Amino acid sequence: MRRDRGRKPKRKICSYCVDKIVNVDYKQYEKLKRFVTERGKVLPRRISGNCAKHQRQLTKAIKRARIMALMPFTSE
Amino acid sequence: MGLYEIMMIIRTDLEANEQEEAVSGLTAVIAKQGGTVSTVLDWRKRKLSYEINKLREGQYYLVYFSGDGAIIPELEHYFRVTDAVIRYMVVAIDEKDFEAAADKAAAEAAAVDTLQEEEAVTEETEVLATGTDERTDTEDEEAEDEEAETVAEGEDETEDASADAEQQEAEAEPEEEKPAE
Repeated sequence: MRRDRGRKPKRKICSYCVDKIVNVDYKQYEKLKRFVTERGKVLPRRISGNCAKHQRQLTKAIKRARIMALMPFTSE
Repeated sequence: MGLYEIMMIIRTDLEANEQEEAVSGLTAVIAKQGGTVSTVLDWRKRKLSYEINKLREGQYYLVYFSGDGAIIPELEHYFRVTDAVIRYMVVAIDEKDFEAAADKAAAEAAAVDTLQEEEAVTEETEVLATGTDERTDTEDEEAEDEEAETVAEGEDETEDASADAEQQEAEAEPEEEKPAE
């Protein structure tokens, strides 16, 4: 595609590991907003760069935040 | 015995004492079932991300308690019976978060004491808050308009094609950040 193949994609670092957060908190919805698309879908791991453990927690946290109307299920 | 966190949303179109009744009723249910309420946090009035029962904002409360898991069905019954509660969630949490919440409540209680002297100032901020609400409302409308346009453009395309476009968009974002790193 349009991307140059020779370049190695830079390894992204899990921001939750950097911050040494053990449990992703659904109450900090402002932070969770960074990990959803404009439409409110959860960003995939290959884009967010999160580790598997935190991505699982993040998904759950986003779903909880959605239930409590802290985040939208979809933006319209 | 387990540690639990309750988040609940209470209607804002009620009298202040009715709202408090909903909270005190809850703590009464927990106490009656043999649980101990550790902290009650007022999580303030927030705009809901989407309408719930035609309401656009709600008063959030956080209640932390320890007790037997058998309390939870009783709580759920209480929430369903109480009309003031429009949404609730009970989550099991670990000790660290439980204590952190208690600390936060203590810190807030201390802050409230100093705040009460500045009543006039808070009233001013309330006026500001309503002002921002109006602004966000108009933004929402604008967003809706944009949405309608994109839908009209992409009518012929299949679902998958639009999803792909979205992914590319998302992929492009971190790309832009790279030079900064």
